[in-house]
Amino acid sequence: MTRLDLEPRHVVGIVCLGGLAFAPFLLDVLTVRQLQGALFLGMFAMSWDYVSGYTGQLSFGHSMFFAAGGYTATLVNLHLGVTPVLAIVVGTAVAGLLGIIVGFPALRLRGPYLALITLIIPLILVQIANIFPGILGGEAGLRSPDSLVTIGDTVASILTTIGFRTPFDQEVFVYYYISLFFFLGIFTLFYVFTRSYVGEIFTAIREDEDAVLASGINPAKFKVFSFTMSGAVGGFAGAAFVHTGGSPSPDALLLVVVSIEVVLISILGGMGTITGPAAIGIAYYFVRDFLQTTFSHVSMVIFFTLALLVLFFLPKGLIPGLGDLSRKILELRDRRANPTT
Amino acid sequence: MSSHATQSVDGTARTDDILRLENVTKRFGGVVAVDDLSFSVREEEILGFIGPNGAGKSTTFNCVSGAFPPTDGTIYYRDEDVTGMPQYALVEKGLARTYQTFRPLEDRTVLENVSLSMVPNKLFSFDEFRTDVEDRAREICQQVGLTEYMHQTPDELPHAGLLRLEVGRAIGTEPDLLLVDEPFAGLTPEEVERTATLFRSLREDGMTLIVIDHNMHGLLDLVDRVVVISFGEKIAEGSPDEIRNDPTVQEAYLGGEL
Repeated sequence: MTRLDLEPRHVVGIVCLGGLAFAPFLLDVLTVRQLQGALFLGMFAMSWDYVSGYTGQLSFGHSMFFAAGGYTATLVNLHLGVTPVLAIVVGTAVAGLLGIIVGFPALRLRGPYLALITLIIPLILVQIANIFPGILGGEAGLRSPDSLVTIGDTVASILTTIGFRTPFDQEVFVYYYISLFFFLGIFTLFYVFTRSYVGEIFTAIREDEDAVLASGINPAKFKVFSFTMSGAVGGFAGAAFVHTGGSPSPDALLLVVVSIEVVLISILGGMGTITGPAAIGIAYYFVRDFLQTTFSHVSMVIFFTLALLVLFFLPKGLIPGLGDLSRKILELRDRRANPTT
Repeated sequence: MSSHATQSVDGTARTDDILRLENVTKRFGGVVAVDDLSFSVREEEILGFIGPNGAGKSTTFNCVSGAFPPTDGTIYYRDEDVTGMPQYALVEKGLARTYQTFRPLEDRTVLENVSLSMVPNKLFSFDEFRTDVEDRAREICQQVGLTEYMHQTPDELPHAGLLRLEVGRAIGTEPDLLLVDEPFAGLTPEEVERTATLFRSLREDGMTLIVIDHNMHGLLDLVDRVVVISFGEKIAEGSPDEIRNDPTVQEAYLGGEL
């Protein structure tokens, strides 16, 4: 037998990636638009997992970073005329700075105290947005900034020949692939860091800081670093979101429910895995949408009940749970192939 | 009477001491845990640091290893004032410790626990060759007698194994001075002997050790010199024989049981 021995979980991963790569050719335009939103939810969830899932420094207000990136980029683009690319860079930097500022309390405060601080900051930001509706848009949010790309005539004609005729189709197509590129980029970045010695240190901090100190490693440095990088990437995602058709509004970027959703996604997907929040972020978006259109006002009850059931039966999260299942299938396959052993 | 060290006259001159405590005091609120304690440790010796329960041994260790600064006094490591320096910085200088209540990382294997002490304390580093680190971690596991447990998690280790893991992790930081906090508590006599053999072999490799114990049996056979404290104060210092026959020490220990 010269069959390539791929584990089932790898097969699933490759199929999913293939699906994402060809989604605009397989799905209708409105679903692709939703999938783009789902990709951003996955990016937000990964940024939470990088700091909270790995180092155990719980943040219940990660929306502050998405909003810092998205709002900053919008403001500098609308009011200062900064180009979208530069606006995203500025948004990322501001969110990273906020990450440093939040990282320092994390050196003194633990558990619920830190979680409370992170929860309060976006609440304050929501109020500030409401106090200055003229500049910050209040509850309705800001108007959208310039698009990251403008579709030129050549690109438009190519897209028309492959079946994307209307300007809306073309915009969705281009935004989708840009978002997918960012999604995969962020995934790779976090994957590389968490699978390196940095990830080992992060999880060691979560387990026992004294053991980290005794190993000659300064946990404070790594905690601030994790918050900074997480904030910067979350802010980047927020800034990229508003420049690819997303709305710079509290609903999408700042409200407490946004923060809670990324926590829920990461826990459902599997904390400290990066792959879990990435995958479940996408699935979550569609499950929520399906329930909302099917059950309307009881949808959230059903949704959170489902979430509770997952947590009860797969406490490590869906992706690690499926990973275990994959290993079991593999063992079974081995046993069937070699019944004597 | 016991010291063969070239004592410095003005405190700044170089000495043979790897570690020197000068008038170290640690107060917690109104409680004086360590009271004006001074002693020194010479290169490549095994120093016993003993005293009854609650004498201030672990508090002294915590001050020396950087867990918290002393209230007063100065600590010199290789003639450098390291008072109040954070623990990770001291580890980088070559001063490592083990904990009396073991601190393993439960989420990873024994091998990975030992590996952690060899990762760089840097945010970005490319000089991390995984195979080198793993080979070295394997060597250390073998050295401390954990080869058979290497791929198991700490919760599968026997008590003596956890102590070996503590020592293994400390060795991974390549220390010159190792503070060992109560290694013999809860060990069988054979395990005590094996652990003592391990400490002797570390010393032969050039390491200096300070070993805490509240029980003198076993320890006195291992160490070159002993510092005895009681109620935070040094009450005796000398060779194991001198300590064995010291009436003050006998009195401190349950009114003369030794």
